[in-house]
Amino acid sequence: MSEHVVLITGASGGVGRGIAIACGTAGWTVWIAARRRAEGEQVATEVDSVGGHGHFVECDAGDADDVTRLVAEIVATSVRLDGVVHNATSGLSPKPVVFADVPLSELEDHVAVSLRGMHTLAVAAYPHLRESKGSFVALTSEAGFEGKAKLSVYAAIKAAQRGIVRSLAREWGPDGIRVNCVAPLAGTPAMERAFVMDPDMASRVLGRNPLGRMGDPATDVGPIVRFLLSDDARYLTGNTLMADGGSCPIS
Amino acid sequence: MTAAQTLMIASPLEALRSVATTMAATFVAVPECPIGAHSGTDSAWCHVDALEEWRAETARGPKADAIVVAVWPATNAAASFTTLSPTEFARRSEWPFVAWYASLGAAIARCATGGTIVALIERPSPLDCAGWAPEGGTADAVEALVRSLARSEGPRGVRVNAVTTPTRLAPARPVAPYPPLNSFPGTIEHDVTNAVSMLLGPGVAGVTGTVVHADCGRSWR
Repeated sequence: MSEHVVLITGASGGVGRGIAIACGTAGWTVWIAARRRAEGEQVATEVDSVGGHGHFVECDAGDADDVTRLVAEIVATSVRLDGVVHNATSGLSPKPVVFADVPLSELEDHVAVSLRGMHTLAVAAYPHLRESKGSFVALTSEAGFEGKAKLSVYAAIKAAQRGIVRSLAREWGPDGIRVNCVAPLAGTPAMERAFVMDPDMASRVLGRNPLGRMGDPATDVGPIVRFLLSDDARYLTGNTLMADGGSCPIS
Repeated sequence: MTAAQTLMIASPLEALRSVATTMAATFVAVPECPIGAHSGTDSAWCHVDALEEWRAETARGPKADAIVVAVWPATNAAASFTTLSPTEFARRSEWPFVAWYASLGAAIARCATGGTIVALIERPSPLDCAGWAPEGGTADAVEALVRSLARSEGPRGVRVNAVTTPTRLAPARPVAPYPPLNSFPGTIEHDVTNAVSMLLGPGVAGVTGTVVHADCGRSWR
């Protein structure tokens, strides 16, 4: 499996970084795509340090030219592409707003990164995933199942990704490509900032979690995504795995 | 329920106007997708200011006790996700998303305290969803918006639910096994309208954030 080559968008920190490190521990080649160069290069170094091969490419997942160029560079360098993880999300995602107060123009960044970016990425990666009989994973959220009073745009965007994945799994299945989602609940810098801004949030989030703790991006969430990218999950497609410690009661 | 108390904010399609007529609802037309209608523009976001104005103007109208919202494209054909051009993706995914958000926003403003909102969503059935990724994505997004609104509007007694239908998206030959009811995919004028009426009615006063699939048993979640 050491020749496995995977791409992770939004991997300069948080859950994306955790996925990159988890894939690195398997000895995989991990392409880290993100806007933040210094942080992304640091993650590439971390991937190297755990036994993988990290590469960083500066990329705005909402920019079609960037995404197309990214996939071309990966294939030109690593020859193959076995897995794609679309983890990038709008910087506006954690901004709490009342539904009616959201300017419609503000929706564009969410759509550009999470939906248009997913489309561009799927189009660019498709021939290479077909060749490798690879795997595509989109990072969604429990918010997409439950809705959120003050994060309605984020919740809707994450739900939309699940709907697209459902169709894509059926469209790509005959080519041997698997398509799934992971809905994580992880302790990230963004979540820590949210807890500071909303002191009651920690009790709301953890109070319903049977395991009573936030997931670790590298050791709790990352291995679940790595599993979906691996041949061990070769019979699993069109699914959403809840990597949330049992927090979201949907089973 | 009188005509003045029921409002339907929807795409100007004959099928949806018929729903409004059956429910004696005042009809407010959602702007149609402008992408491709004018030369030189192919982005949903070139038109977002006009949609913002429409939302604000619609929101200023009189209150209603019951509101149905339905944003449906004029027509589409099944197409694999990776064959969609950026313009097609914008037309089938980005514009419907922002139009739904605007329409539900207007509905919140118009809904009286203790009132109820139903989103009438076109949704491809899970087994038959190949070729309908943008539509499936939008449908799931609107379901999440409905649940978000159920949470935010619940404290003022407003219920928000959804009805889905695959009526216009169902293939001529559904993936086996055939849905439980031979009447699949159902009819807008009866099956769908009756499900909407049920959710608008006082008999389900304790129901909010729920999605009813009026699809003859094709969906099971």
